[in-house]
Amino acid sequence: MGHLFSRISPQTLRILALLVVLLAIIFFFSTQVPNYLNGRLFNRISSSVAIMALIATGQTLVILTRNIDLSIGSIVGFTAFATGSLISQNPDMAAPLLVLYAMVVGAAFGALNGVLVAYVKIPAIIVTLATMALFRSALVEFSNAKSITSSELPLWLVNFPNTVLLKFGQFQLRAGFAAALIVVLLVHFALARFRPARRFYAVGSNPEAAEMAGINAKATVFAAFVFAGALAGLAGFMFLARFGNITVVAGLGFELKSVAAAVLGGVNIFGGSGTVIGAFIGAILVDLIDTSLVRWEFVSEFSREAVLGALILLSVTADAVLMRRLIGLRANREKKLARAAIKEKGKTSEVNTPKQTGETAT
Amino acid sequence: MKMFKTLCFASALLVGASTGAMAQAISLEGGQDVDMVLLPKFLGILVFDQANEGAQEAHAELNNPGELLFVGPTPENSVAGQIEIMTTSATQGQGAVMLSNNAGDQIVPSAKAAQAAGTKIVTWDSPIPSGEGEDVFVAQVDFGSIGEVMADMALSILGGEGQMAVLSATPDAANQNAWIASLKEVLATNAKYSGIELVDTVYGDDQSEVSYNRALALVDKYPDLGLIMSPTTVGIQASSKAMQDEGLCDQVKVSGLGLPSEMLSYTLNGCAPEFALWDFRDLGYLTYYTAYGMATGQLSGEIGETFTAGRMGDYTIEEDPGRPGSKRILMGPFTVYTSENVEAAAN
Amino acid sequence: METPVLELRDISKNFGMTRALSHMSISLFPGEVHAIVGENGAGKSTMIKIMTGIYPPSSGILQVDGVTTVISGPQMAREKGIVAIYQEPMVFPDLDVAENIFISSTREGFVQNPGKLRHKAKQLLARVGISLDVERIASGLTLAEQQAVEIARALSQDVRVLIMDEPTASLSAHEAAQLRRIATKLAEDGVSVVYISHRLEEVFDIAHRVTVIRDGEHISTRPVSEVTSDGMISEMVGREFESLFEKSPSVAQSEVILEVKDLAVDEIFSGVSFDLHYGEVLCMAGLVGARRTDIALAIFGIHPASSGTITFKGQPLVITSAAQAMKAGIAYVSEDRRKFGLAMPMPIRDNITLATLGEFLSRWGLVNRRKEVEVAEAFRKRLNIRTPDIELPAGMLSGGNQQKVMLAKWLNMKPDLLIFDEPTRGVDVGAKAEVHDLIREFVAAGGAAIVISSDLPEVLAMGDRILVMREGTQMGILSHEEASQENIMALATGQASAKEVA
Repeated sequence: MGHLFSRISPQTLRILALLVVLLAIIFFFSTQVPNYLNGRLFNRISSSVAIMALIATGQTLVILTRNIDLSIGSIVGFTAFATGSLISQNPDMAAPLLVLYAMVVGAAFGALNGVLVAYVKIPAIIVTLATMALFRSALVEFSNAKSITSSELPLWLVNFPNTVLLKFGQFQLRAGFAAALIVVLLVHFALARFRPARRFYAVGSNPEAAEMAGINAKATVFAAFVFAGALAGLAGFMFLARFGNITVVAGLGFELKSVAAAVLGGVNIFGGSGTVIGAFIGAILVDLIDTSLVRWEFVSEFSREAVLGALILLSVTADAVLMRRLIGLRANREKKLARAAIKEKGKTSEVNTPKQTGETAT
Repeated sequence: MKMFKTLCFASALLVGASTGAMAQAISLEGGQDVDMVLLPKFLGILVFDQANEGAQEAHAELNNPGELLFVGPTPENSVAGQIEIMTTSATQGQGAVMLSNNAGDQIVPSAKAAQAAGTKIVTWDSPIPSGEGEDVFVAQVDFGSIGEVMADMALSILGGEGQMAVLSATPDAANQNAWIASLKEVLATNAKYSGIELVDTVYGDDQSEVSYNRALALVDKYPDLGLIMSPTTVGIQASSKAMQDEGLCDQVKVSGLGLPSEMLSYTLNGCAPEFALWDFRDLGYLTYYTAYGMATGQLSGEIGETFTAGRMGDYTIEEDPGRPGSKRILMGPFTVYTSENVEAAAN
Repeated sequence: METPVLELRDISKNFGMTRALSHMSISLFPGEVHAIVGENGAGKSTMIKIMTGIYPPSSGILQVDGVTTVISGPQMAREKGIVAIYQEPMVFPDLDVAENIFISSTREGFVQNPGKLRHKAKQLLARVGISLDVERIASGLTLAEQQAVEIARALSQDVRVLIMDEPTASLSAHEAAQLRRIATKLAEDGVSVVYISHRLEEVFDIAHRVTVIRDGEHISTRPVSEVTSDGMISEMVGREFESLFEKSPSVAQSEVILEVKDLAVDEIFSGVSFDLHYGEVLCMAGLVGARRTDIALAIFGIHPASSGTITFKGQPLVITSAAQAMKAGIAYVSEDRRKFGLAMPMPIRDNITLATLGEFLSRWGLVNRRKEVEVAEAFRKRLNIRTPDIELPAGMLSGGNQQKVMLAKWLNMKPDLLIFDEPTRGVDVGAKAEVHDLIREFVAAGGAAIVISSDLPEVLAMGDRILVMREGTQMGILSHEEASQENIMALATGQASAKEVA
């Protein structure tokens, strides 16, 4: 067990710490809200987190490279609308094509961000703050300030997110959530194992060293924005399918929620470290707190935002403290092991070279 | 003569009991040149587009050589955007601004400045709460009667008794708050509704995703909930979709104010058996006539003044019972939609 | 004649009005260790950056294998087999050791196999001659270990020209020797090694040819057998040079300023006790990992001691923050200029006055800009900081001059005790002598100094007494008379105890 503990990577530790916080929050609300813990809670959270998980994943890619994408909510809104108007005009369009369209539109917006940040070298926060407004206005223009309603959409699309794939009692695995989960896992695997993807970490970790090591930092940052855009496009597709009713406010505020989810999930806001799985759990945490607060009698409608902020802060703190604890524990163990090893070695080397006298130190 | 009698009769009917006195209806003369601005809460919601269509219709009918601008803020910037557009309109010397106010009383200083610059401020859909900086409010329906209409729909859906929750737009939308207040008052004072319990009011910010999640949270929070009443077109649609997606339509019904075209399927499948609305095209049309009359000086805006609003007939300016000291023109009436009539209205 | 792997022909490089390199020509052959020496600011870094494609030359051409080539960036340089290892190690703090080595490799497949990667990393590190847990996150590595990782990274590819810029500046003598062995071995394998070092003895140890550059110009290239130390130094500085490493007489007074007793930080070091007199220079010697810096950080309050006592100017002192230490009159000049010392993007002027900004406030609480400029100008002259303008960012200066700005910053505080951590690491001989003189000046004026240094000649030249550390334990204190390079090393490596060497 101890051996196992010392072999767990800090990233895994972080995810464990997050899960503990998640369970603590579930436990807390189950004491506060009657009839809280049941399959329905799982179904609620899993369906609604499917969209945010994708956005948080995209945001994570960007944050890893020491940047931020504030336009991601506007990209979701735009692609949701564009995809919706495409399918309502061509109701027979094949599903994969539609998904591809959403991702390409999203990626195109991401590419604009990427060019401005990576090649024109404008700070990401400025670029995406501007494009957030720009893309939103583009949506208003493009949509002619009209909205799309679910009656204009084909049935397969509207039914897709809530199709039940598997069922355990009250617990349902729905298609929307399953799709998001698959994407998250794929991106996670790619980030962990694909060589080009590792460069996101390298560039965020030490941009100067990356340049010196012959990594094309600009292309890497650009790629991060493009992928984030494509994921936002996919989220836009999911948004369309789930809510059906797309107005120009679609996806408003998602940018900050996605940043919150990523940071809560242990993605370092200064780049270089973090995992997509972490961001995924972060997204679940944000959604869980948000949903549970509405059900909590104790909090009034008007203080909810404040309590949400306070709870997120509390979770980050709890997670950070827990994390430090775990790492400390691990380090101590390592030290003990190392000392034991030195002692072992000391004995043998004394036998071999009796002249050495300096070994007695500690 | 006969014609005149008919008109008088019609106007008496429309003006209703509130004025009592019959006055000579002013017929507005077309062709006068005046620039006007139609300023909705924000862009991107179907009902505001419909209002614009009505206003454009009136604009063409009155042969106004001036310009009718349909400008609005983006949703995330609604309050600041409305104030800015109001200020700009004053400096441009617009003849009138037709405002669906989303900025509460924060709009007052800029509206007053516009008035001082000679711009008439005609509100519609949602008034300025204090009435300051406003020349007249074109009310879609009597705000007091909205409460009654909603209570009646609840009564019929719940079958006499049960729990109901309200899903509103934003906490600072003047019209929403007035309607919810009137609903509460009706429920509390009329014994007919004593079996209906209003358990909660939540806000979906006129965003689909927020409204959707709030509706589900309501169901989870109140296991005995029978009805979600949403007096906003975004909220009622999102709530209906949420109930349908989660298979809850048998247990929790949805009602409120909705657009027939958006609500068609939910009304037919029983998720939202009854909802109400007025015609936003008519509202835009009437608002345009009012603003045109005032901006061209043909209407003085005094209480008791009656004028003819084209195809819609005669209307009279009266005191607003909900906001003493302020003036309103009451359009009325409501249409309640059920599976019987929704299909016809949707097309 | 053999074709050079890499040849610079008549290369010049201008930055605005300043000319950093002027008509530089140099040929690098396979199998040779080519040392390049010159003072800081002589143009060595610029030359390396041109070789690795970071800067395009303003004029002149580069030839690879006799073919004129435009190297467009570090990536292309890598493809051509030209790799540089810099003075400040370039690692990715968030990645583990194995990944750090292979991050820019183009040879490993698209999908990483962590097991295989670690195995290969271990092999490479073994070639470098260091054993390191390859799964460790790089942020915890010492400078020496980071260096090793960087070399392993270079080795992971077919390196043909390996440029080592001050690779041993941060290494202990033992590790430096090991590194030189690697450099020699690589040359034997046919790599062309460019070796830049301020430690002239290293140059004699491994170089085949030596090129001296000064003020951006090529001065000489000779086989090492035709070069003498004095000749090389005078070519570098452009003047005759009196010997650096002569110890000046002690000016220590009898009064004690600092008394440290049984100082310890849990798990880091323990049992450190010494006295320091006014006017005295105490040097701390030891290998990397001896925990000398940790002692300094404990005295300076950044990582407060967990047990033991510090008596400063006769008062017992429990120091828990740097601010408190500064208020008491203790200053610490960090080893890591980048991380702890200077605000690189800020002007030199601001860096000098940063720690003592309170003294520059005018009546209204605003910073008195004129006074700031006066003080900064005075320091520029006094410390001979080579910069055209004190308004330039500190990051633009060469290492030696950055060190002087750091010094100015702390001297400006008028401390009673100055702790220098590797004051001349990566500093050229000329500037080194200047820094030494400044320290002597400081103690002669009544201050006291602790100098942490891995450079043994420097320790011997500066230290009135020398405290030797080894792995968190105080091995002994030697007087200047007792000390020699040999017995310091014996203590530092644990080959002898204090009693034996004394």
